[in-house]
This record gives sequence, C-alpha cells and structure tokens, in this order.
Amino acid sequence: MKALILVGGFGTRLRPLTLSVPKPLVDFANKPMILHQIEALKDVGVTEVVLAINYQPEVMLNFLKDFEAKLGIKITCSQETEPLGTAGPLALARDKLIDGSGEAFFVLNSDVINEYPFAELIKFHKSHGGEATIMVTKVDEPSKYGVVVMEEETGKVDRFVEKPKIFVGNKINAGIYLLNPSVLDRIELRPTSIEKEVFPQIAADQKLFAMVLPGFWMDVGQPRDYITGLRLYLSSLRKRTPSKLAGGSHIVGNVLVHESAVIGEGCLIGPDVAIGPGCVVESGVRLSRCTVMRGARVKKHSCISSSIIGWHSTVGQWARIENMTILGEDVHVCDEIYSNGGVVLPHKEIKSSILKPEIVM
Amino acid sequence: MAGLDPPPSSLSLSLSSPPQALEIHPFESPSSSSSSIFTFHPSHLIFSHLEFTQFSVIPCSFKAMGSSEERVVAVIMVGGPTKGTRFRPLSLNVPKPLFPLAGQPMVNHPISACRRIPNLAQVYLIGFYEEREFALYVSAISNELRVPVRYLREDKPRGSAGGFYSFRNYIMEDSPSHIFLLNCDVCCSFPLPEMLDAHKSYGGMGTILVIKVSAESAHQFGELVADPDTKELLHYAEKPETFVSDLINCGVYVFTPNIFAAIEEAIVERRGKAELRRITSFEALQSATKAIPADYVRLDQDILSPFAGKKEFYTYETLDFWEQIKTPGMSLKCSALYLHQFRYTSPQLLANANDAKGATIIGDVYIHPSAKVHPTAKVGPNVSISANARIGAGVRLISCIILDDVEVLENAVVIHSIVGWKSSIGKWSRVQGEGDCNAKLGITILGESVAVEDEVVVINSIVLPNKTLSVSVQEEIIL
Repeated sequence: MKALILVGGFGTRLRPLTLSVPKPLVDFANKPMILHQIEALKDVGVTEVVLAINYQPEVMLNFLKDFEAKLGIKITCSQETEPLGTAGPLALARDKLIDGSGEAFFVLNSDVINEYPFAELIKFHKSHGGEATIMVTKVDEPSKYGVVVMEEETGKVDRFVEKPKIFVGNKINAGIYLLNPSVLDRIELRPTSIEKEVFPQIAADQKLFAMVLPGFWMDVGQPRDYITGLRLYLSSLRKRTPSKLAGGSHIVGNVLVHESAVIGEGCLIGPDVAIGPGCVVESGVRLSRCTVMRGARVKKHSCISSSIIGWHSTVGQWARIENMTILGEDVHVCDEIYSNGGVVLPHKEIKSSILKPEIVM
Repeated sequence: MAGLDPPPSSLSLSLSSPPQALEIHPFESPSSSSSSIFTFHPSHLIFSHLEFTQFSVIPCSFKAMGSSEERVVAVIMVGGPTKGTRFRPLSLNVPKPLFPLAGQPMVNHPISACRRIPNLAQVYLIGFYEEREFALYVSAISNELRVPVRYLREDKPRGSAGGFYSFRNYIMEDSPSHIFLLNCDVCCSFPLPEMLDAHKSYGGMGTILVIKVSAESAHQFGELVADPDTKELLHYAEKPETFVSDLINCGVYVFTPNIFAAIEEAIVERRGKAELRRITSFEALQSATKAIPADYVRLDQDILSPFAGKKEFYTYETLDFWEQIKTPGMSLKCSALYLHQFRYTSPQLLANANDAKGATIIGDVYIHPSAKVHPTAKVGPNVSISANARIGAGVRLISCIILDDVEVLENAVVIHSIVGWKSSIGKWSRVQGEGDCNAKLGITILGESVAVEDEVVVINSIVLPNKTLSVSVQEEIIL
C-alpha cells in the first residue's frame, strides 16, 4: 500500500524551531513529527511513503535515508516547484501512487497528531465501497473550520461548508484520507484545493464517506497547540502503552523520558513533559508541561513550565522559564534568568531576564 | 647572481625579468664589490617586476613603482555566523560580510580601499564561516579587482589578535614589510596609504586609526589617549564605564611584522599564568563566565593596552566618516555613506539623473545594470537597487536597499527599509521605517521572499523570510 504525506512549506508558525530543521523533522514526544505518521503507516502495511514537499528537500532526504533503513519502508519525495495547494501534489505524485494494483492509498496532512487508526479506516473504506473516505473530528467551534455535513448512520458525506455562520454540524476535516486511485483522475496538475474542488465533486456522486476519528486530534503547527498536543498524546499513551511512560516518586502525571536522558536527584517532573535523547536534567529541577529536546541541559534548581527548550540548549541554575517560552537550537539561558514568553532564535545567549513576551533575534 | 634561493612560498613564482634591486641583510657587513656573493634573508626580500600566479586562472601584476619598495599584506577579519546574531534577519540568508552596501558586498569596500596601498601583495579574509561560503566570492573579487584575495578559516575562537597570529605563516609568505589589519564591519573612508606613510614616520610597531566622537557615545568603544604632538598611544581602555577620552579605536591598524613577536609574548605569558594557578573550584562552578583559554589574545586589552606609553603604538586620526555595521539599521546608514563617497571616488557607479531609463533620480542612488526602473518612478536619495529588481510605475523609493529579484508593484512606497531578495511589494502598499538606524525596530526589514499584498502598510517591523503580509502591521517582529 502507498501513502502521500502533504508536508508543504516553510513551517513559519513553528519558528524558531523551524529555522534549524524543516517542520516534519521537529521533534514531538521525542520523535520527529513525521516519524509518528510513517511508523503508523508501516504498521498497517504501507510499503512506500511519498512526501510532498516544496522546501529543503536535501535536508529531508538525508534524514529519511536513515529511516528507510531502520524502518524497512521506502520513502521518496515529490517536490513542488510552485505551490500546488492541497490537491495538486496528489496529481504531481500520481506515478508513485498508482501501481496498477487498484489499491487505495492514504493521504495525510503532516502537522496533525492523533492515534492514527488506520486499520479501522481501511476496514470502513472497504465496507462502504465508495471512492474516498475522509476522517473527521469533532470540535467545539466548528465555524473556525470547514464543516463536513454527513449522514450519521452510514457516514455518507452530503456536503462541505466552509466556516458556516449557523450550526450545520460539528465535524471537521481531520486531514486523513483513504482514496481510490480513481480520485486522481479528478485532479489536474495545477494549484487545487481538495476540500473546495475535489471532495465536493465526489460527494455529489454519492461516493464520499466520512469516519469519525476516535481519540484525540491536534494540529501541532504552532507552539501553543504543540504543548496542548503533547498533553493529549501522552494521555493517549497512558491508555495504550503505559509502560512507555516514566514512573517513580519524582514523576507526576504523564511523562516521557528517553532512555538516554539523565535526571538528577530531588527533581519533580510532570505532568505532560517529554525529555529527549541525551538530555541532562540536573538535581532540584521542576519541569511541567514542557518539552526538552535532544541534547539540552537543564541546570540545578531551575523551573520550567509551558515551554519548549530547543536542541542542545542550556537553562541556567535557578532560571525560571514559563508562559510559552520557546528556545531555538543552541540557546543558552544564564543562571538566575527569568523568561516570561521569550521566543529566542538559535545560537543566542540570554544574559538578562525577559519580563514580557518578546522575540529575541 | 649566485646563491639565490627562491623564497619559501606556496605561490608559484615566475620571474619575468631578473630582480633589479636586492638588499643585503643589515646585520651583515656589506660586501666590498657589487657582484659578490650575498646571503638572502626572506624578511628583507625586495623584488620588482614579478608576476605571482595565485590561482591557475588569474595572474596578478604588481604595481611596480621603481626599485626599493616594501610589500604590504592586508588582513580583513570577517567574523562568523554564530557571532553576528545582531545582523539578523539578513544574516539568516547571507554571511554579513557579503551583504551589499551601496550595491557591493560589505567586504568589497575595505578590499577596494586596500588596492590603493602601493605594493599590495595579498589580501587575506579571516573568519569562521565555511570555506564554501566565500569560495565564489573570493575568486570573483580577485578577478574583478585584480587583487589576490584569499579566505582563511579560523578553527576556533582565539581572540582578535590570536586569530591574526595563528595565520602568521600565510601572512609572512610574501615577506611584507607592513601588515594592515582591518575589521570588515567598519564603514569608513579607509585612508590606508596615508596611514602607512604616517606609520613609517612614527617608526613604531603599529599605528591605530582613530576618530573623535561625542563624549557621550565614546564608552561604547575602545577609548585612546594619544600624545597631541607625537601621536603616540599613551593609554587604552576598552568600553570604560567612566570617561577616558573622546578619541576611539576605529578597528583599522597597520603593523610591522614584529607585532607577531609581541602577540607571541602575550600568549607565552598567559600560558605561564594558567599553569601556575589551577582553576579554583569556585571558578569551575561559574557557568556563565567561561574560562579564557591560554591562546585567546585580544588585540585591544592584551596588546595595545599593556604597550601603551612604550613608544610602540601610534595613532592616526581620520576626520572622515566612521561607523560600525553591527545591525541591519546601520547597514542602511552605511550604504548611504558609501553612496555619498562614490560621488568623489567612483561617480560612474551612481545613477545619472539624466539616465536613459528616465526615472527621476534624487541624490545618491545606485541601480544595478540589470534592474528595471519604470520612468514614472521617483528614486532617492540614498537608494540602492540590486540585480534584476523591478521597480514599477509610480513607485517612490527613499533611503532603502532593494535586494536582488525584488518586485515593487505600481504606486508602492518604500522608505527607510531593506527589502529582501525575491520579495514582492504590492500595489499602493507602503513599507516604511521611522529611520532611526540604532533602534531595534527603527527601520523595516523584510527577509527573503516576503510578499506584501496590495495596499498593506508595514511600519517599523521585521519580517522573517517566506512570509506573506495580508494585513497591515506596525512595530512587530513576524517570525
């Protein structure tokens, strides 16, 4: 089986992290974002993944060679030379997606984190016999998005309504599709929107079905949602494979610690914390609702909450980091510094406190 | 002329004609006859009419000026990528030394100034950037300016004197009698030949270019006290808290080769001190202050300051302009200073008010030959337009740098701004800065590939690459 992941552009909303690596390679829960999706696809029998990108293909490809070898799955890139929207990339990758077997292929948005219930999706798709299945998720404020209006019983999609003014339904497009190869015949190689042009056509032919995504769903393309997403992910991990989470008297709630990370004495870690490979957390440190990325060091007696600490950064002794502080790669916060929402670009040293949210270039 | 050993050099040397003047080592007694055998000391080698082949493609001819001249090597310190964070967001796309001022890469300006030095043998650029970032530039500029330029990469930070010292073998290859050391991010008129003459008359180990600034701003720099008559350096203080002097260090120096001995002394002394005293456990716990390694030597604090008052260092005062190019705001100001200087040194580079293109030109303006400017546009003063830019009808540009491939659509206005490569400025949009080159958000900077949509206003903001602005913004940094 094949899959296409729409990686898209520059990931500017996740800067400063995306100034160091392309967005799909930004770590989430100690793993590059895109690896979560690739692993889930492999588990359900996908043998080839195509990444639709338009930015920094060399960086991506180098990195993916590693994964190809480790995971035993083929990964290729399909590069847009001009932005092709949400459907155009499928046409561009046509030859890679169709292999004559007539098998359906997956299409995923890269920013979306969820439980990837691909096996259930395949089952549902086969059962209804339609041309395309999309996964939808329930949200509280559907008017912010495009709403999918569907028959509750069969899942057949009636229509799409973009940002509806009155309540028409509370299910929105979750960015996961399973499509028959015939869908590609409906897409031209030009900038095209899958929601506005392609799906409505299929719905009109009564061949589009929707399945409600079980479990959590989060678009982690920006820092605030990244932190919320981590909470949802770890809570889901607690239900499925609790052994992966850390335990001990110094742990509160759901905490993920990479096996190569080191944690000192007298710390209190959690809830909702991910500590990456090679990290060093010295003694007396308090961490909550935060991510500490590969190679970072958190020095003694410091306190971090609701923040992201970038690769190879250091947080000084007695420092206090909170309120959506994002440290880019190789940022060094000196001892006793306070950061309230500082957003710091890579390779900086913070020698004075940041009292109000501020970008430090 | 027997016994002539070729000088130790990595350059391939071909003599187009026999050397015409040779000097005997001064500590040996001169031979009695002119055709006697002499010993040859590389540091006193004096040639003329030589061709050096630096690269396989580019020959470089000496400015031969008669018989006994002394060669000069110029060294320009260009810094490195992690050092120049103040130059963001422009430094996210291009090494700071290659950012264009008045239409030419920043480092072109000191290199061009070096060309005016008689008997310039070589220019070295020393920095922390990867070699490949400078490879193309170095070969192009060597070709264009007919000056051999080479980039040398520092492997680790050794301080402003340490880095210079670590490459002494390269620098001394040409057996120069004098060595200029310049900082790339200094914007000034570089009066190098005059400085050299002054240095020779002082007879010391080095001469420092200095300038008078206001007493209030002097503390940001190295302050020097000089003897008003002899011009000798009497005292040096780096960024002092209290007022020492309104004469400051411009970051341009000329030395005689014995500067290397002085630096070596400083290194030896440091090593001695470091061994005598082990780092105490207290110092080891200091996380914020990193221990300074033994071979880290700063020119100002470790060489100039201790030698002040010992008749080794002298000063040469410039009355022209001088600025440091630390931030993008300053690059806009310095671009204007160089554009103005072109009026006197290279007026052919400036856009002619009577240009065939027809656009209205006010003041000092540089337009790259490949750029297209609509006849109804009004450009200037202080505008620099780079290659392949397209300036549409009715556009007004004041005090700005328009980089390569930018498209400015009809009736847009750009004031006190830097517009990054491949950006597009929509119709009737307004991209503006207040014009305070020292403030954090004093000018507007658009990074690479930024799109400002029609009728949008952008004021005093910094926009990182690949963003599209569809609503107006003021005083914002957009990541």
